[in-house]
Amino acid sequence: MFEFLIAGITVPVFLLVLVGLTVGMVGGFIGVGGGYMVTPALIVFGFPGYMASGIDMTHIAGKGVVSSIRHRELGNIDWTLALTMIAGTMLGVELGVRVLVHFKGLGISAIVLLITSVVIMLSLFIYTQLETHRAHKKLDQLTREGKEIGREVQTSNLPTLFQSIPLSPIIRCRHARVIISMWVIVLVGTATGFLAGFLGVGGGFIRVPALVYVVGASTHIAVGTDLVEIAFSGSYGALRHSMEGNVDMMAVLFMIGGAMIGAQFGSIATAFVRGPAIRYILSYSLILATVGAILRLLYVMSGQNVEFLSLAAVMLTLGEMIFLCLFILSLVLFAVRHRAGKWVPDWVKSLVI
Amino acid sequence: MKWFINSLMGYWILLLAISLGAAALVYQIWLKGRI
Repeated sequence: MFEFLIAGITVPVFLLVLVGLTVGMVGGFIGVGGGYMVTPALIVFGFPGYMASGIDMTHIAGKGVVSSIRHRELGNIDWTLALTMIAGTMLGVELGVRVLVHFKGLGISAIVLLITSVVIMLSLFIYTQLETHRAHKKLDQLTREGKEIGREVQTSNLPTLFQSIPLSPIIRCRHARVIISMWVIVLVGTATGFLAGFLGVGGGFIRVPALVYVVGASTHIAVGTDLVEIAFSGSYGALRHSMEGNVDMMAVLFMIGGAMIGAQFGSIATAFVRGPAIRYILSYSLILATVGAILRLLYVMSGQNVEFLSLAAVMLTLGEMIFLCLFILSLVLFAVRHRAGKWVPDWVKSLVI
Repeated sequence: MKWFINSLMGYWILLLAISLGAAALVYQIWLKGRI
């Protein structure tokens, strides 16, 4: 137990380290900040809501930097893509926050936010899951035929459509191997930034699918590039929250301690799998977060009377963190066994390198 | 039991059950009474 003097609460230290470790691993692997998991968990531990956001944002900044460095070493970052998108993201976040303030003025922000979250996450889950399932089947077929397979296979036609938009200037993203109108990237940044600002999240879970299915980057590049965005936005958020006095630095230190290890492991783990494996984990994260948001929506709509719904949402948030980590760990373990020529389940063979 | 390992869906269900069980344990031991 550790007494956090600024927050005025006592929390078991290992729980904070564990949350940092698990969310760090998931973030490094699928390219998200994990705010939608960390903030509810910190509130459950007893931190006030505003401080939970501040601690979360500050630890995301540290984790984003560590993950970005590791992904840069793995060659997973396209700087042209990242820097072009940041411009659109900043504009989008500002617009999103303004729309949110408008809804707050109407007094319906909580329900609007939850319904929007559910619709967006569910749509992304369905599209990602269906496409990844097709890509997985294609990978299985190529494996059976004994053909050489790269680390990425995706079956969506959307990137071809967006890459064919002839709007100058057309830019070349060398690392991502994409030639596309700059305005498409700016628009993706603005749209995802708008949703992030409106929903009050980092937006990684929207940007990674957008980079894959709209821009046409490989999943590994999408993850690395998005983590650069997260490092930038997280650093700015951390600065703002610190100035407002929303950060308990001791809590941040414990969480970052875990996140440093988790983020490095998650980033390195991407080198053991093909793109569809990362997209599977992303889609699982989306569906569990959707169910959590539905539970919270039902709790709000019930007038916050049905305590079971709130408790179930908390359990699901904790369970989601553990589930995603176990899945990533087991994929790495299967990959190592597969490389050593040992037995692995059939469905794993085409997903690991 | 083999189905839980040999199919993606089975593995998903197995890990989710283990994870929710672990979350319930964490809740019972350290978090009950805080919420």
